[in-house]
Amino acid sequence: MSNFLNQDFGSEDEDDDFNPAPHEDSDAEEPRAKPAKKERSGGDGANEDDVKYGRDSHDEEDDAKDVEEDDEEGDNQAEDDDEEDEEEDEEEAVSHRPRKRMKANPFIEIEAGVDEEEDEAEDEEDELAEFGMETHPDDLDVLPGGTETDDRRHRQLDRQREIDASMDAEKQAQMLKERYGRNRAAASDALVIPKRLLLPSVEDPSIWGCRCKPGKEKEVVYSIQKRIEERPAGSRNPIRIISAFERGNVMQGWFYCEARRQADVTEGLEAINFYYPSQKMTLVPVKEMPDLFRVQKSEELLPGGWVRIKRGKYSGDLAQIEEVETNGLNVTVRLVPRLDYGMNDDALGAPAAESKRKRGLTNTVRPPQRLFSEAEAKKKHAKYLSSTSGLGGKSWNYLNDNYVDGFLIKDMRVQHLDTKNVNPRLEEVTMFARGGEDGTANLDLASLAETLKKSTAEEAYQPGDPVEVYRGEQQGLIGRTVSTRGDIVSLQVTEGELSGQTIDAPVRTLRKRFREGDHVKVIGGSRYQNELGMVVQVKDDTVTLLSDMSMQEITVFSKDLRLSAEMAADGQLGIYDVHDLVQLDAATVACVIKVDRESLRVVDQNGSVRNILPTQIAAKITPRRDAVATDKNGAEIRLGDTVRELHGEQRSGVIRHIHRSFLFLHNKAQAENAGITVVRTSSVVTVSARGGRPAGPDLTKMNPALAMQTPGGGGAQMPPPRRGRDRLLGKTVTIRKGRYKGLVGIVRDADDSSAQVELYTSNKPVHIPRDILTVKDPITKQSLDMGGGRGRGSRTPFGSSAGLPSREGGWAGGRTPMAAADSSRTPAWGGAGGSRTPAWGNASGSRTPAWKNDGSRTSNPYEGNRTAYGGVGNRTPAWNSGSKTPYDSSSGFDAFASGSRTPAWGSAGGNTGNRTPAWGGLSSSRDQRDFDDAPTPGGGYSAPTPGAYTAPTPGAPTPGAWPESAPTPGGVFSAPTPGGPSKRDYDAPTPAAYDAPTPAMGGAAATPGAGYGGNDNGPRYDDSPSP
Amino acid sequence: MFFLKEETKVISMHPSFFGPNMREYLITRLNEEEEGRCTGDHFVICVMDMVDIGEGRVMPGIGQAEYTIRYRAIIWKPFRGETVDAIVTSVKPTGIFTLAGPLSVFIARKNIPSDIKWEPNTVPPQYTDHADQVIEKGTSLRLKILGVKPDVAAINAIGTIKEDYLGYVVLSLL
Repeated sequence: MSNFLNQDFGSEDEDDDFNPAPHEDSDAEEPRAKPAKKERSGGDGANEDDVKYGRDSHDEEDDAKDVEEDDEEGDNQAEDDDEEDEEEDEEEAVSHRPRKRMKANPFIEIEAGVDEEEDEAEDEEDELAEFGMETHPDDLDVLPGGTETDDRRHRQLDRQREIDASMDAEKQAQMLKERYGRNRAAASDALVIPKRLLLPSVEDPSIWGCRCKPGKEKEVVYSIQKRIEERPAGSRNPIRIISAFERGNVMQGWFYCEARRQADVTEGLEAINFYYPSQKMTLVPVKEMPDLFRVQKSEELLPGGWVRIKRGKYSGDLAQIEEVETNGLNVTVRLVPRLDYGMNDDALGAPAAESKRKRGLTNTVRPPQRLFSEAEAKKKHAKYLSSTSGLGGKSWNYLNDNYVDGFLIKDMRVQHLDTKNVNPRLEEVTMFARGGEDGTANLDLASLAETLKKSTAEEAYQPGDPVEVYRGEQQGLIGRTVSTRGDIVSLQVTEGELSGQTIDAPVRTLRKRFREGDHVKVIGGSRYQNELGMVVQVKDDTVTLLSDMSMQEITVFSKDLRLSAEMAADGQLGIYDVHDLVQLDAATVACVIKVDRESLRVVDQNGSVRNILPTQIAAKITPRRDAVATDKNGAEIRLGDTVRELHGEQRSGVIRHIHRSFLFLHNKAQAENAGITVVRTSSVVTVSARGGRPAGPDLTKMNPALAMQTPGGGGAQMPPPRRGRDRLLGKTVTIRKGRYKGLVGIVRDADDSSAQVELYTSNKPVHIPRDILTVKDPITKQSLDMGGGRGRGSRTPFGSSAGLPSREGGWAGGRTPMAAADSSRTPAWGGAGGSRTPAWGNASGSRTPAWKNDGSRTSNPYEGNRTAYGGVGNRTPAWNSGSKTPYDSSSGFDAFASGSRTPAWGSAGGNTGNRTPAWGGLSSSRDQRDFDDAPTPGGGYSAPTPGAYTAPTPGAPTPGAWPESAPTPGGVFSAPTPGGPSKRDYDAPTPAAYDAPTPAMGGAAATPGAGYGGNDNGPRYDDSPSP
Repeated sequence: MFFLKEETKVISMHPSFFGPNMREYLITRLNEEEEGRCTGDHFVICVMDMVDIGEGRVMPGIGQAEYTIRYRAIIWKPFRGETVDAIVTSVKPTGIFTLAGPLSVFIARKNIPSDIKWEPNTVPPQYTDHADQVIEKGTSLRLKILGVKPDVAAINAIGTIKEDYLGYVVLSLL
């Protein structure tokens, strides 16, 4: 029983979780304990079995796996035992053998085989997964064909076997009992007793959990051990505690004593230091006893595996395990050294001591990883260098470290290593490749893959990924993932007999599947992230792909790949994509040739390649589809054309961008610069035009009719003709708005929208929008009328747009002054009253008699109301309705309006000198309407009508003038236009507006009428508008 | 693989072409525009014949006439696994660029048999097994298409010559 106490509990507290070392011992410990138990209670075996089976029946909930594992090992051992047994008692064996072979043995044998082959590092789940997965050749005979893949049948068979196996074990136990009950010698070395028989039962001593000072558990156990040694069983006052143990960090403040009775424990623990007798001890239920000894399996380290160093100079570095010491605590790792060979040391001082002292400090820059070079070491540190020719190669000792083949060989403790989620990257690993220039060839990719497998995150599998089950029962199945949860991936089988079914498989049995020719994207885990390419080779877990961009072969793990539907080149960085043209500064443009995670590689117009940050890019230049250049021969070249350099390297390529005189060509066959070259347009000749542009003249282009034929209708969509020099150039202007408001300058340059103004004040050219400039006389500083100061910029649409011819004639010339302020009007306009014909000064006076004549209005629909008017003033109602509105809008315009009307009235339709046609049109069209309203005078006015229509209408719609002068009639004005030539604008409204305005006018008239009437005859007027 | 495919195309014709030779003009236009075209899915190799040239419709406001032409064309759609003959267009350390008719096929280093080595020092550079096989610009190759990547108006493919009966083709056999 003191076996337990001899266990090495010592190291347990050094590890965070339960230590791996005791685990190995713990396997042994139970068998060792068992015989002792047997000694104690001779007939335990069967009972233990019973207990065991009881457990078996209900242990699915939690620790099914563990028990299962135990089962295997137990069976294994039982099997061995059987063999021994059978050799001994031949006659017995004869009767048993056939049956066993038939039923139990196939299963057990397989398990034993698997168990031996599987490395112990496999997790329990794995073993569970493996459990019973393989089909024994015997079964193939027994079972009907095609059942290998049928899961249900397998499980049924497994259950059957399990029952058989357990039945057998019972019998075996019986035999064991018979045998070892008698034979104590055999029992003592029986390391082979099935584990399941070792599980405690109620007959066994109980275990009590006792409290002690946290952290002192071990000491308590030591003192108990000491006490037991002092007072062994058989002495006068024996300690009846059978064993004591503690669980280290897992159960702080607890230790456990095994004894028959609680009193024994209490007695044994008397006056033990750090033991708290006042706190009640708890009896550990039989069921939970095994859990007290359960060890959390720690990561099994295997030579060749990959780890990361946790601290020190190499922290974070990848290391390869060279050797694992049997205690599992110390490992020898191989590292790529980081040495500076004393280059950064002070001239004085021993580097060894130095390094020791410095360790804690933040040392200077960490030297890069480089293989050890004795030549460099000899330069400064020859005295610290000694060579030892060992087995199979020369090794160096330098500063107390060993270097073999350039690698640092270092002994480390396991706790200083990161063993989980190591995630070695391929480029890191390639450093470890011995020999070989490119490295990848003689890499142990299998071990690397194994390490990676452990850290495979489930997100590596996304729904739709093609996968393949490469081990386990479902080996060889091919499907697409449907969903993932935890470690389980559901996949829909796409090939084979099970096609269409959805099955679950653990992640570790899966790998992504790619076929040669698949277009894939690297999704992570390597520096090739976001690279796109086509698979050229698939070898187990590694996939070689051909990058779309660089036409280079890349080898990555299949887990880092996804099928890609993207057509584009590489990934994007922000808005920048490969082959985009970007503006670096005013004079430099460049083409993106590579997009890294944070930077871009570009080739600029001079052909130089540089790395830039996205922030250094001024703008992205959106390609102009219609960009045209001419090659050396003067032929037209466009985007997409293939051109060839005439001289030099005679490079050829497809035009990607045209920028001024530079062409960015793309040539797939060129690996460097992502296939981009920069050439000048003058040095290339066309090889082929995109889409086979006919070489001859394009008839459709030459046909003027077609040229005019544009969707806008009406032809010339060409840009407004430039009439020579911009009129604003050289003019003295003042700025009306903005930060330069009020400043005066001279226009140095101008385009359609803005002008470069050299200010008087600062002599500095500034860009100012044209529309906030007012042209001044340089001497008098008077505002000049320069076509409104805006020049043609704002005007052009009216003036020159052929699309709106109706507006052109009248407006371009005569209208212009209109837009200007009052002061800029033609003299005729200048004085509101003065310029008018005297008749107009007096509104009613000059009107034609017809107007004043009430009689003529008789038929006017408003007559009813008007009658009163007629009586009061001599204004005709028609006047009210028609012309009132503008009249009222503002007094200035009022005058204006009436003034303008004068000529129309005076000489219906005729153009007098000072009358601008527009005005004529304006007035006459208005009048005309009035006349229409008033049929009676129609006769009298029939003559002017056509005139009014033809001539003035074009003027009418001018947007500039109308909104100001006559807002209300604006709508109305559109109405009369039928006479106007521009169909497009005026077609529709004509009839409606024509009719409509009358009432509208009536309404409108009323309101102004109030004001108007106020002068003449206030009271009566108010009533009138009601209709 | 080659297919005979019936397709439809609308051609609009400027009135200046209206006349007795309209039909010829239409056919010329169709041939010009269609033959050699790559849709990203297939290449139009040759327009066989017109199934139907519809009646022209004069577009209102433009005056151009629209003809809907149904025609049959031989198209070539490259498939993965298809074996084709190709001509080497350029030889690079990374692999061999070839043209199989209109289709550019790249043969990566991995897909070249290991005994055929990159020989950069010859003029022009070549892949050779230092025996009778010399792959340089202009060489005829028989290759198998491994993968096809459709693009907007182009098809890119990769191929292999690392299989039996693939690779260097002796022209004299033809």
